[in-house]
Amino acid sequence: MHMRPDEGEGSGGPMNADEAEVRQRRPMDEEGASAEPDGATGTSTQQDGHFECNICLDTAKDAVVSRCGHLFCWPCLYQWLETRPNRQTCPVCKAGISKDNVIPLYGRGSSNQQDPREKLPPRPQGERPEPETHGPFHNFGLGDGGFQMSFGIGAFPFGFFASTFNIGNGQFGGHPPRPNVPQNPEEQFLSKVFLWVAVLFMFWLLMA
Amino acid sequence: MASQNIDPMLPTMQNKEKKVNATRRKDGHSVTMRLQRELMNVMMSGSTEVSAFPEGDNIFKWIGTVKGPKGTVYEGLSFKLTLEFPADYPFSAPTIKFKTPCFHPNVDEQGNICLDILKEKWSAIHSVSSILVSLQSLLGEPNNDSPLNPLAADTWNNQAKFKELVHEFLKKNSKNKSS
Ligand SMILES: [Zn+2]
Ligand SMILES: [Zn+2]
Repeated sequence: MHMRPDEGEGSGGPMNADEAEVRQRRPMDEEGASAEPDGATGTSTQQDGHFECNICLDTAKDAVVSRCGHLFCWPCLYQWLETRPNRQTCPVCKAGISKDNVIPLYGRGSSNQQDPREKLPPRPQGERPEPETHGPFHNFGLGDGGFQMSFGIGAFPFGFFASTFNIGNGQFGGHPPRPNVPQNPEEQFLSKVFLWVAVLFMFWLLMA
Repeated sequence: MASQNIDPMLPTMQNKEKKVNATRRKDGHSVTMRLQRELMNVMMSGSTEVSAFPEGDNIFKWIGTVKGPKGTVYEGLSFKLTLEFPADYPFSAPTIKFKTPCFHPNVDEQGNICLDILKEKWSAIHSVSSILVSLQSLLGEPNNDSPLNPLAADTWNNQAKFKELVHEFLKKNSKNKSS
């Protein structure tokens, strides 16, 4: 090993040429791949050197920028801040920094526009309630399953049912048919027939 | 030129590069990747003052070289150091020691170094080259307030005497080490 470190200098020549070639080739390869979620950037190039993460030295992935203007991968910065909870400073300039005051960067074509800060640390997913349907079913306490089934039995007229037997809630009275379930007049008529049949049946059941 | 000597190393480098790229698919932020980049940077910097290269196949262990800064008592000398990188590098500092005996206020007999950026002032942006450059300036500008080598700290003001001790220390400890 006695000669190895000294030769680091000498090797600059051949390595340079070799590297330069790699760098020339890369950007073309990446052009098409840029939309991949992974980024698949391979060896980062000289051209995008300004967008290298200050910690891993690779092209910043899930990039965030601090208020002091320094660019990092969010995973890198997160790990950095985790390793020193008492001194939350920018690794580059030592400015104060916190997980909440970094800005995520979204480049064009990046497939994932999620705020990188929400990936790490793993947080419980936010709840995404279904948009309110204003369907009449809620009055009957029927779930979606019941709804689907009733339509399966030939447009069972719960909509009308609801409006006719409005349970003390006028809001549903003149509600138009659901846009995704177009009903022609004939169907509506059939619906009414079915409805009355159903009502009579229920009445009969009650009486029996 | 050393280039013909270095040629045999090139295939090794490229193999490593491939291996690293393969790892990267799984973990884009591997320590290996960062070290590989640093190696590239060190080699491309073409610096004649500092250099470094992995020792053998293990990229977590490097040998670095720092030339004694010009105009200091260390001028003309060349110091070898060992650099060991932790598994969570660069979030933790590497362990760096002088391999070549170094008589210096902030270096002890075992080669341990007292330098703030390697301890409490470590930052993930420090790199092998930046550390080696810092160490080179440390040679010329010791911190005599918290010495690891009190004799060196006391002698610093007498540069002629200090230079003598530097060479004496080097000779004495080199013999010990080579035996
Ligand atoms: Zn990074
Ligand atoms: Zn900063």
